[in-house]
Formats: sequence, C-alpha cells, structure tokens
Amino acid sequence: LLVAWLALSLSIDAAESTNPFENDEAAIRIGNALFAGRCADCHGPDARGKLGPDLTQRWARGETDESAFRVIRAGVAGSSMPPSVAPDNEIWAIVAYLRSISVVPALVSTGDANRGRALFATECARCHKVGGSGGALGPDLTSIGAARSRAALTTAVREPSATVALGFRAVEIRTRGGDEIAGVVKGEDAFSLQIQTLDGTLSAFAKRDLAGIARSTDSPMPVFDAARITDTALEDLLAYLGTLRGAPRQP
Amino acid sequence: MRHARSSSLASLLMLAATAAPAQTGEGAATGVTAAAIEAGLADPTRWLTFSGDYSGQRHSPLRQITRRNVHRLAPRWTFQAGTYARGRGFETTPLVDDGVLYVTGSNNYAWAIDARTGRAFWEYRRTLPDDLTYGASAPVNRGFGALDERLFMVTLDAHLLALDRRSGAVLWDVELADYRVGYAATLAPLVVEDKVIIGISGGEYPTRGFVDAYEPATGRRLWRLHTVPLAGEPGSETWPSDASAARGGGGTWMTGSYDARLGLLYWGTGNPNPDYQGADRVGDNLYTASLLAIEAATGRLRWHYQFTPHDTHDWDSNHVPVLATLPWRGRDRDVVMVANRNGFFYVLDRVTGEFLLGKPFTATTWARDIGADGRPIVLNEDGSGGCLPDAHGGTNFNPPSYDPRLKLFFVNARETCASFHSQPVQYAPGQATTGGVVWADRDKAFGALRAIDVTTGDIEWEFRYPQPNLAGVMSTAAGLVFAGDQEGNFTAFDSTSGEELWHYQTGTSIWGAAAMTFMLDGRQHVLIPSGSVLFAFALPEER
Repeated sequence: LLVAWLALSLSIDAAESTNPFENDEAAIRIGNALFAGRCADCHGPDARGKLGPDLTQRWARGETDESAFRVIRAGVAGSSMPPSVAPDNEIWAIVAYLRSISVVPALVSTGDANRGRALFATECARCHKVGGSGGALGPDLTSIGAARSRAALTTAVREPSATVALGFRAVEIRTRGGDEIAGVVKGEDAFSLQIQTLDGTLSAFAKRDLAGIARSTDSPMPVFDAARITDTALEDLLAYLGTLRGAPRQP
Repeated sequence: MRHARSSSLASLLMLAATAAPAQTGEGAATGVTAAAIEAGLADPTRWLTFSGDYSGQRHSPLRQITRRNVHRLAPRWTFQAGTYARGRGFETTPLVDDGVLYVTGSNNYAWAIDARTGRAFWEYRRTLPDDLTYGASAPVNRGFGALDERLFMVTLDAHLLALDRRSGAVLWDVELADYRVGYAATLAPLVVEDKVIIGISGGEYPTRGFVDAYEPATGRRLWRLHTVPLAGEPGSETWPSDASAARGGGGTWMTGSYDARLGLLYWGTGNPNPDYQGADRVGDNLYTASLLAIEAATGRLRWHYQFTPHDTHDWDSNHVPVLATLPWRGRDRDVVMVANRNGFFYVLDRVTGEFLLGKPFTATTWARDIGADGRPIVLNEDGSGGCLPDAHGGTNFNPPSYDPRLKLFFVNARETCASFHSQPVQYAPGQATTGGVVWADRDKAFGALRAIDVTTGDIEWEFRYPQPNLAGVMSTAAGLVFAGDQEGNFTAFDSTSGEELWHYQTGTSIWGAAAMTFMLDGRQHVLIPSGSVLFAFALPEER
C-alpha cells in the first residue's frame, strides 16, 4: 500500500482538475481513514449525515469530484464547516472515498420489480421502511437503490452480518428480574444502555439493573439464504430495490 | 441584580465609579498577587492558575463534598457560551477570585461571570482572521492566567493578550508567531513571579516550537527557548539538516508546572513534524516528545527527558507535569510524573531529570520496557506487530490528578488499536504536513479511568467506559475523583476504591477539560465545561 501511495502522490499536480485517485483502492482506504479522523464527527461514521449533511447523495444530484474538493478546501460560509488546509492529495483521497460509498448507477437486474415489491412487503417491510411505510428496526431503505451496488445489496440479503453499521448491532440483555430482551444497541454510556427491541420499541436500561449484557457485532436480521429466497426471487427483489432511489434533494 | 452578599458586585461597581489611572498604577496591590498564586489552593475561595497550583496535581484540599453526600450534588446554574469547537471541546479551566469567574471559550471568546448566578459581567470576542491555519482545525482555548488586575490569554492567530479583568478591555496585544505558517496558541498562560509563560501550537505544520516569557505590565518578551535546536546548538545532531529542524515541530501547547524553590519550569513538547513520516527527519529529533526543565529566570534549558525518540505517531508529550515528593528507595525525592501519550507512566527526579520509573499504564505493544538509561526498548514502531495507541495516545493533554496522601495518580487512559502508515510530504507554509494516516480498529477501543500507584506504576483500580475519551480529572482531599468521559458523563468516584458515587449527563463529550472547585458563601462548588456549556454544581442549600 505504501508503495502504491508513493507512486500516486508523486504524480499529483496541485492544479489538478480531476480526481487523480478516482476508483483507486489504496487511496480510497486512506481517504476512509482521513474521513474517520476529520469529518466523521459531523457527517457521521458512514458519511450519511449527523450534525452535517449526508455526503453520499452528492453525486446522484449531479455534483462532481471537483465541487466536493472545492467545498472541503473552502468550507461553507455561515455554517460550521470550516475551510481545510490539508494537502491536495489528502482532500482528493477523501473525495475518492466519499465517491466510493456514494450513490450508484441504476441497478441492472433481470428480475421483475413488481414481484420484488410483493416479496419485500412480506419478508422485509416488518423491519424496513420505504417511503414512510414499514417497520422501524432496520435501516430506512427509501433510497437504498441509489446508495448500494448490486453486489452490496446481494451481500446484505444473503449475509446481513457481513457489515453492520453502529446502531444496528444485536444485543441481548437479562434484567435482575430475570427478563430477557433482544434488540439493537442505539446508544450506550458507562451507566446506561439505549436499545430498540425487536418489536421496534425504544427502551432504556440502567446498567446497574441488568444481570447481563450479551453483545454481538452481528445483525438481528435473518439470513435470507437460497432456501428462504431463491436466486430467481432475489433477482426480483434486487430489481425492486434498484427502483428505490429516493426523492431528489432540493438544493 | 440583587444579592444579599454580593461583595464582588459591590466592589466592581465601586471600581467602575472611581475608575482612574491610579487603579492600575504602580504599587496598587489589587487583584491576584504572585505570592497568592504560589500559595496555590491555600485560600479555598480562589483558583488562580490552570491546575490550581504550580504542582499540576489538580488536587483540592476542600472537604465539604464527601463520599457520603456527593450523591446529592446538583447543578446550581449553567452558562451557555454560544460558541462551539466542532469535534473538540470546551477545554477551559475557569479561574475564580472574589466570587468572579474568569473563563475563556472556543473561538477566543472570554467572559467574567458571577460565580453565584452564572450571569456574565462582560464578554470579550476576538476578531480573528478568516485564514487561520492550525487554529481553524482546533479553535479551542484552555484558560486565562492572572496577575494583579490583568488576565492573560493566547489566541488562535498566535497572539498573547492582556485584558483588564474589570472590563475585558485589551491592555496590550503581542504577536507570538506568524499564524499563516501554521502557528496557533491555545493553552492557559502560566504566571510565575514577574513573568507570563506561554507555549505554542502548530506541530502539524512546518513550525518550530518555543516557550516564551513576557513582562506582565507591557507584553515585552523577556526570553524565548526554542524546543528544536539549530546548527551549533546541543541536540542539533539529532536532525539531518537545519531545514528539517526549522520545520521540526515540538509544540508546547499545554500549560507546564513550576517548582518555585528550584526556579524551574517543567514543560512538555509535542510531536516532531511531519507527524507520521520519519524519513525526512532521521535521528532522535530533540527536544520533541520530551519534558523540558527550564530556568524561569533566564529561559535556559536545565535538563530534558525524551519520552518518545524519533516519534512517528503524533505522540505529543504535551501533558501537565505533576510534581510531588515521594519516598524513593529510602529517601525523599522531588519528582515529576507524566502519564504519557506513548502508554507509559514515568517518574523522573525533577532536580536532575534522572529516570526513576517507566511502566505501561495501557496495553501498548510499542516498547517492551524503558531501559535503565531511560531509553525505550522499542519492539513495534508502526503497529505491524500488534495494537499501538492511536494518534490520540494512551492518554492525551486532558489533565490527570494526583492524591499525595494515597500516592495515587488518576488518569483517563485510552485503549485503542492502531497502525501507522507514512506518506511522502510536500512542505509549504500554512499547509498541514501530517505525512501519513492512522488506521484504528474502533471495535477494539475503550476508555478507563485508572488509579496508578506512583511508587510502583501498578494500576490500583480502574473504571471502564464504552469509548476512549480525552476528559480531564480532578481529585479532592475528601477522597473523591471527578472525571469526565466521551459519552458526556461527569462522574464522582471514591478515590480509594474506584467506586462510582454520582454522575451527571452533560449532553456531549467532555473533551480536554478538567474540573475545578472552590468555596463560595460557605458552599463548595465544582465546575466542568462540556460542549458549549459551563456547569456549576453544589450540594443543595440547607433550608
């Protein structure tokens, strides 16, 4: 990796107008690390917005790498987004990382989106919301088709625990009264635990009232293997998810 | 504003009514005297310097709030600063004198605040340039220094100011260094006898650190000690060239400690620049990542101890050095103690700089041991051989505290798992030159308040937090330790057992700040800043 970076950074010209690191895996990893240290406090660890806006939707709105570079360099006047004095190559690496996790081109599928919608309603909607209806335990999927590639969506269905964002990790707690409660961890400090139980209820506990906390980095989402959703049905589901590109953001 | 016992307000009004040049004239021994600062926390109504006294112990003799009653501690007021440091903290330690708090905030705001009500007497706000360098990325400030009727404050554009504490008016304003190169200033100045001592930030830029002394009345510079030597000076042989040394970093951005009897300042120095890339600066890179003992009268370096030779992890040694007298192998020794960002706890003889003890207080795999010569036996420089403390270190600048009766050193330790990857660097004034990236496994990180037995370096107890933090610590003679955390809790612990006795959720990370305490109207107050709010706690009034 270091060797790759050496070659890249030597080729950078400060007056570069296109991103020299576009789709460059090594630079994207570096950009990810830089983002975690400098940007994630406001934009969230996955860049999907916290105090600052969601940065993964920019490209879908027609913004470019260059405009992202300019915003990072100059900051946003009147907001808490400061200008950056980081070297050009670091900013380009952050831009390459953001683009790598950003909205993707329209998903290509041989499936039937209508059949996929019906499948979604029976298998997914209990936990996932689309356009205001559905459950509240899993992530809102209203614009998932713009945010995840076909490969990422396939993995998310077949192996839901492969990558689990903070806020969606499974936990099982046992109270001193003997109750056992399963859910996902939404927040935690030294003295308390904020969870969402599997029925969607928000519930908080003082740690001193708990007899045990079993944490997991897994998702509580069931594994939808081929026995549960056939490859053909998965094609239908992907076709439907590909249509979920959200509402265009107002500038 | 009405107060039954408002001597501070009354005196302030009188000063306003009779304000005359004579008030600031020679010999008008009003306000804070050097002798009072040296007396430390002897007067329970005052807190006159960053750590409370020159020892850096941040240990208060106050005993009204006890292990038995601390569970009743409640907010008395909150002060909304209205200014915020993104991703950082409200890092100040307020000073208090005669019922008035003197507080600095983010973005170089400052206030005089009524300690009874939290109401401000005045607000100061510096007009900052829009092209700040380091100061833009960490727009913080850690507090005032005080002498006579003057307050001293450093700025994000690397100036030192004196304010009239009665009005907030600027009395003088001197430039420390050119902020456009990368310099900034964030620490609380240390007033020592007739001098204001300051340090500088900006070690992520092509800068060269220094410690300065200024004349309190005029702002005239009395001496400057550069932390990185140039050709012909001792230590310059630890740099490959003058060019590398001249941009070699070694910031001095945390307030030091002072031994009045020896006339020595103890001051930590920061990372060598660039942070993660050592190829351009082969050698030990003196006096970066070190502790310096500096003659206060002259600015001459008496001795140094380098914790992390040729650092490539951004492991600044900008810590509050903690001074104490310890029984050491049969005799009393005056020591200075540091829990270092590299994950080791150190005890040094503060007269000579002799290395006495170095022991990990974290699970670092960086070094096996510190050799008898005081040099670390490094095993794992870049994290390829196991977890290293991340760039924020095994602890950071957040102040620790020390209870001399228990001989316990309390510090918020950070357990993290990082590896370090260097990159080539292009040097340009005003451009940050970190020279690499740090990869950290967030799932392996946690925090812990630890009590270190200073005679052995052993961990006596710990209290774990979900995440690592950069929150400071204060202890009291009543057997309490007050500490903040990343999740926002301000917590009181039993200093003997580590048992949690009380906590209050402040709503956001307590970051960089440590508590201070004082008596007011017969009630012990405990203050902690968090986010953009200053909280004042006391026991409920008897009714």
